[in-house]
Amino acid sequence: MSRWKMFQEGVIEELPLQLGVFPFGIIYGILAMESGLTFLQSFLLSSIIFGGASQIIFVQLISTSTPFGIIISSVAAINSRHFLYGISIREYVKHLSVTWRLLLAYLLTDEAYAVSIRKFNNDPNNEFLHYHLLGTGLTLFIIWQISTLTGIILGHELPQFLELQFIIPLTFIAIIIPMINSISFICAALSSATTALIFKTLDLNLWILASASIGLIVGVTVSRFDKK
Amino acid sequence: MTTWFTIFLCGILTFLTRFIPLSGLMPNELPLSLKKSLKYIPVVILTPIIINSLSIYEGTELYLLENNKLYAGLIAILVSTIFKNVLATISIGMLSYVLMSNIF
Repeated sequence: MSRWKMFQEGVIEELPLQLGVFPFGIIYGILAMESGLTFLQSFLLSSIIFGGASQIIFVQLISTSTPFGIIISSVAAINSRHFLYGISIREYVKHLSVTWRLLLAYLLTDEAYAVSIRKFNNDPNNEFLHYHLLGTGLTLFIIWQISTLTGIILGHELPQFLELQFIIPLTFIAIIIPMINSISFICAALSSATTALIFKTLDLNLWILASASIGLIVGVTVSRFDKK
Repeated sequence: MTTWFTIFLCGILTFLTRFIPLSGLMPNELPLSLKKSLKYIPVVILTPIIINSLSIYEGTELYLLENNKLYAGLIAILVSTIFKNVLATISIGMLSYVLMSNIF
């Protein structure tokens, strides 16, 4: 299979996922403008950070005047899952030049990884696998820029009563519920939720990081009782 | 200015989490405990944010009853558990919130 064919395959396989990506991008755009960021900041965030969940957390925290240190650590923490993606594909890209690896790292998002890792695992000896990830990654990048820009421009036109802010928790529920598939995940979620409630009631600003740390400790501790 | 600085710093951090594993600078095998912990990160970060968005605080007082967001959130959790579908969860959750806010 040629380079071009491999690239095309990546693009075509990535397209169906855009059904979910496009509305998500629009929501981000609307929320970014509501959060008080400027047009330019809202738009460039999509290429500077280029990560849906991180960008939404960013604008949500900035809209509630959260201290910058907490915003930065929350974004960094939520992005740490990319580490795992990188680890699972590094065998396939280690022979590539630094430029290629920089480019692929930039494009390594949830949706591009999810599609390309299947190809990598099914056809591990193909010499042009990186063109597949380039195809999935670039497709996502272009659609993400268009959809977030649509949201940024459209944001002002939508009536206030829609309370679009409420889409944030709903989106996050849709992301995490499918991940909660064992006792340890349930315990991690419940303990971080309880900690958040307590810390918020005490008016402590560190509620996200405290809840995340306690959830993590509980999850890892309980994981030894998960069914193997 | 501080906002731009935060944006760029978040951008650099995001890029580094994606690039470091591909950089060739990391050991071949990561400690199992680290791998295990990373799996829990999305759940333990996003759950507090969900809880915060679904709760109503007046000062430090917490209101759980007569809170349509909380009920709609619970419906969304149920829908997501059953269908594991992003669009269904968001649309049914939003619809129930709008209905409850207009009826009650």
